[in-house]
Amino acid sequence: MSGIIDISNIIYSYIPVAIILVVALMMPPLTMFLVKSLSPRSKAAAKYDTYEAGSVPIGDARIQFNVEYYLYAIAFVLFDIEVLFLYPWAMIFQGHGITEIATVEMLVFIFVVLFGYVYLLKKEALKWQ
Amino acid sequence: MELPEILFNPLVRGIIGICLMSAIFLGAMAAVWFERKLSADIQQRYGPMRTGPHGLLQLVADAIKLFTKEDIIPKNADRLLFVAAPIMMMGSVFLVLVAIPFGAIIINGNTYPIAATEMDISILYIEAVSAISIIGIFMVAYSSNNKYSLLGAFRNFARMIGYEVPLGISIVSVAIMAGSLNIVEIAQAQHPLWFVFKQPIGFIVFFIALMADMGRLPFDQNESEEELIAGWITEYTGMRFGLGFFAEYIHLILGSMLVVLLFLGGWNLPAVLTSNTILGIILPTVFFLLKVILVMLFIIMLRWAVPRFRIDQVVDISWKKLLPLALLNLGWVIALGLLGV
Repeated sequence: MSGIIDISNIIYSYIPVAIILVVALMMPPLTMFLVKSLSPRSKAAAKYDTYEAGSVPIGDARIQFNVEYYLYAIAFVLFDIEVLFLYPWAMIFQGHGITEIATVEMLVFIFVVLFGYVYLLKKEALKWQ
Repeated sequence: MELPEILFNPLVRGIIGICLMSAIFLGAMAAVWFERKLSADIQQRYGPMRTGPHGLLQLVADAIKLFTKEDIIPKNADRLLFVAAPIMMMGSVFLVLVAIPFGAIIINGNTYPIAATEMDISILYIEAVSAISIIGIFMVAYSSNNKYSLLGAFRNFARMIGYEVPLGISIVSVAIMAGSLNIVEIAQAQHPLWFVFKQPIGFIVFFIALMADMGRLPFDQNESEEELIAGWITEYTGMRFGLGFFAEYIHLILGSMLVVLLFLGGWNLPAVLTSNTILGIILPTVFFLLKVILVMLFIIMLRWAVPRFRIDQVVDISWKKLLPLALLNLGWVIALGLLGV
């Protein structure tokens, strides 16, 4: 953990990511192409119906999210961002001579978020209905 | 003996990564066989027996079957999303794979991890890209236009949203203790004492959250066969189903590796054992993979030991139990750090 960051090293470490990503994205279409050339094909209309529960489905399945999911989603965004703020602090926790002050600041932050958490609990926002 | 410079070339690392991809495919096939045999054993059945010795070739037979099955896209399905969803899921698991070391080679006390790449922030990266898989699952469910799939995906959302937070906090606790976000350095930092002994609560929180993240029983509410047919993947057949299925098993293997790397000491061995060159090349990786297999064994056995939670219980466990526990563990780690332990 030196002060100077070598940018080229960082870029180098992501080149394999790009290579794997290309291979991973190509793999399913290639597999499906192989399947297309190997598998038999027949055109029976019933085959292309939605299976669902075995009988003919009634109505469209694409419904809106129940509103209670949004409560969880908002709480999730709140806490996930809190966790993101913890990462840089975790990095400087040891060996930078600012452990105590950084910890106090972070504890204040965590307690503020905890206050919100207790509020959510008391409001029963996290109760499944 | 020094490793040749060419091994650090990014293109060569990419090729190593592709080799690891094929290795994990074989590993996933082995894991499917392993799970079927073990499940059968627990239920006092034989499991696959007829294809090869103890059904070892069953997976080859399954692969041939999947390859020769017709590719069906239901006419009510959203074709674009239906085709793109397996790509999304595969992309997510392989992006995770890039950053995870599959073991290490120790030569003259220097450790060279067997990984496609080594980043400074690999653990943050892993958390970020593994979250993509939930989009793949939702694409599967939404595109198939099936009520049960969509129900499964909704439950999946509620679950993942809850468990991502305790997972993140326990990872931060590990990062504080190791002083690094690099997964290799985290594994190295556990040299004398594994993190599972230093922060047992963190381990429990991480393990439960990871089980939920992988969608393993008792946390497979997105599938729950008894109520949702096959859950989110009902409309998928043949190889398209196979791709999603394989993505899940690769996720299982990678998750077990993550447990071993973050909490169970990775490939660390007493220095005496790795001083010899040949032993140093072989032993750490073998030791690491052995631990991974043990963790997988435990996860599979848990499947038959614990009944599935209801979705409201799942959400309650994450928000009301795991989150406070994760924060408690964070406090414990801070206290240890301030005391200089």
